[in-house]
Amino acid sequence: MLFLIELWESVRSFIATGGNVLYVVAFALLLMWVLMVERYWFLASVYPKMRDDIVNRWNAREDTTSWYAHRIRDTWISEATELLEQRLLTIKTLVAMCPLIGLLGTVTGMIGVFEVMAQQGTGNPRLMASGISMATIPTMAGMVAALSGVFFSSRLDAKVKLAKAKLVDSLPHH
Amino acid sequence: MKKVINFVLLAASMSAGISATASANSLDDLLKQVKNDRISEAKLDKKREAEFLSARADKQALLAKAKKELANQNARNARLTKEYAANEITLAQKEVELDNATGTLGEMFGVSRAAAANAYGTISTSIVSAEYPGRGEALNRIANSKKIPSLPDLEELWFALQTEMTQSGKISQFTTDITNLDGSKSTETVTRIGTFNLISKDGFLNFNDELGQVQPLAKQPAGYISGTASDFFSTTSGYAPLYVDPSRGAILALETRKKTLSEFYHEGKEVGYAITVLLILGCLIALERMIVLGAMGAKIRSQEKNLEQPNENNPLGRLLKVYHDNKAVDAETLELKLDEAILRETPKVDRGINLIKMFAAIAPLMGLLGTVIGMIMTFQTITLFGTGDPKIMAGNISLALVTTALGLICALPLILIHSIVAGRSKSLLQKLDEQSAGLIAAIAEKESK
Repeated sequence: MLFLIELWESVRSFIATGGNVLYVVAFALLLMWVLMVERYWFLASVYPKMRDDIVNRWNAREDTTSWYAHRIRDTWISEATELLEQRLLTIKTLVAMCPLIGLLGTVTGMIGVFEVMAQQGTGNPRLMASGISMATIPTMAGMVAALSGVFFSSRLDAKVKLAKAKLVDSLPHH
Repeated sequence: MKKVINFVLLAASMSAGISATASANSLDDLLKQVKNDRISEAKLDKKREAEFLSARADKQALLAKAKKELANQNARNARLTKEYAANEITLAQKEVELDNATGTLGEMFGVSRAAAANAYGTISTSIVSAEYPGRGEALNRIANSKKIPSLPDLEELWFALQTEMTQSGKISQFTTDITNLDGSKSTETVTRIGTFNLISKDGFLNFNDELGQVQPLAKQPAGYISGTASDFFSTTSGYAPLYVDPSRGAILALETRKKTLSEFYHEGKEVGYAITVLLILGCLIALERMIVLGAMGAKIRSQEKNLEQPNENNPLGRLLKVYHDNKAVDAETLELKLDEAILRETPKVDRGINLIKMFAAIAPLMGLLGTVIGMIMTFQTITLFGTGDPKIMAGNISLALVTTALGLICALPLILIHSIVAGRSKSLLQKLDEQSAGLIAAIAEKESK
């Protein structure tokens, strides 16, 4: 329990030195990971049942070569693809947004630095240092958040493509 | 000429005759006169001599008197000199006695003066003086007086220090005159937190020790800080959290010089307003798309459950209608007709979505424009005033950065909204493009059996 309190305190001091933009980074990171975990869970447990169901239905069909059969096959593939690709765009957007949020932090931090300069002059570097830490920490946090998402989101992308290709392959024209 | 010479000779002979007769009588007279004169002169001399002699005696007496006086004065001088010397010794003795007598007390008075001077600095600037005014004057008097302070003065010092000490630990509420920013005065109830802060229902107050006035701050600090002050003021029981300024006003004074968010926003000027317009437009378009696509999706889902009766109010229904109208034609023609219908439906679904994307791309560019404008202004300032004053330069640089920040703040939500709206429209288009033919094929198959 004490460990958790210490952890929370360190997070709080990190946010205090980094400024409020870190909350936005944290929100984007959380949203990104929630969506990604949901996708992995979907691929691992929901999708295989769905795929087996589609393959069984296709194999049960008598006619698999006519125009109608092709259209129906396309529809099933499309429906499966839609479910597979759901939210992937949002995840990618969030990954791309993280460095931008970091940049926003840089700019707001620099505004702070120049505000201190406008009020107190350049005489006291300590006063400016707080603005500089507010400029650099969100940038770093945004980079880290984006990097943490880049690998897993591209893995997810590849997995979805593979799953789609496999589905198409497993629906042969008899 | 002969006549003149005759006259002169005559005159000369006449005058010689007269003088010869006179001189015969006067010699005796002269003798007699001399004799008489000699007697009278001797008398006169004698008289004068007597006079001189008597005067000499007088002067002698005067001299004797003056000499006596001198002797008297000399004697007095000697006596007084002796007396003076004796007095000097006595004085020195008495001074030593006085020093001995005051001894430690003198030190105490020095300490009390120093204490009064110290306390004057603290007490006159303390906000407790807003509640108990006039304590500084007595302290000032003690600190600056050349005389030994009197007992009432010492008591005053003690009382002032004790009041400050006691009141610094208290939270008290009192009524006082507040000098508002426009100069008008009003009587209000204020709460004093120890020696740290004065608060009223409107937030933090400031105690101006030079004028002895309670004034509202020129600008309250950020809402979450000043909010606790007014909350605390209105709390009647229990505990309430409150931001306290431990520097006794210095931090609050700095806070008043900090810019608020809205002031920062207005620093962006025209570029900033343009970016805001972009954000609002983007959000409105996105909202319209969400509503339209949401309604369209709901209608398509209800149509999917009822494929037999095409409803013209949704794209899928219109596609089904194409099939129902062309049941007789062969598959190839039907596909062509369906493609045609889908092409007609597509723009209705993805209309405006690229606009949001474009806005999201334009916003940071406009921020960049603001940055460049700000930098141009900065360099203009440098041209005019030189680089001597960082404060002048920093003002414009902060303007440049504000527009960049605004551009990013505008772009971030637009990008997110675009991804959500684009995802929704993509799924609808997929439904129309790839799945409608399958649905129609399924109906056709069912009907042909």
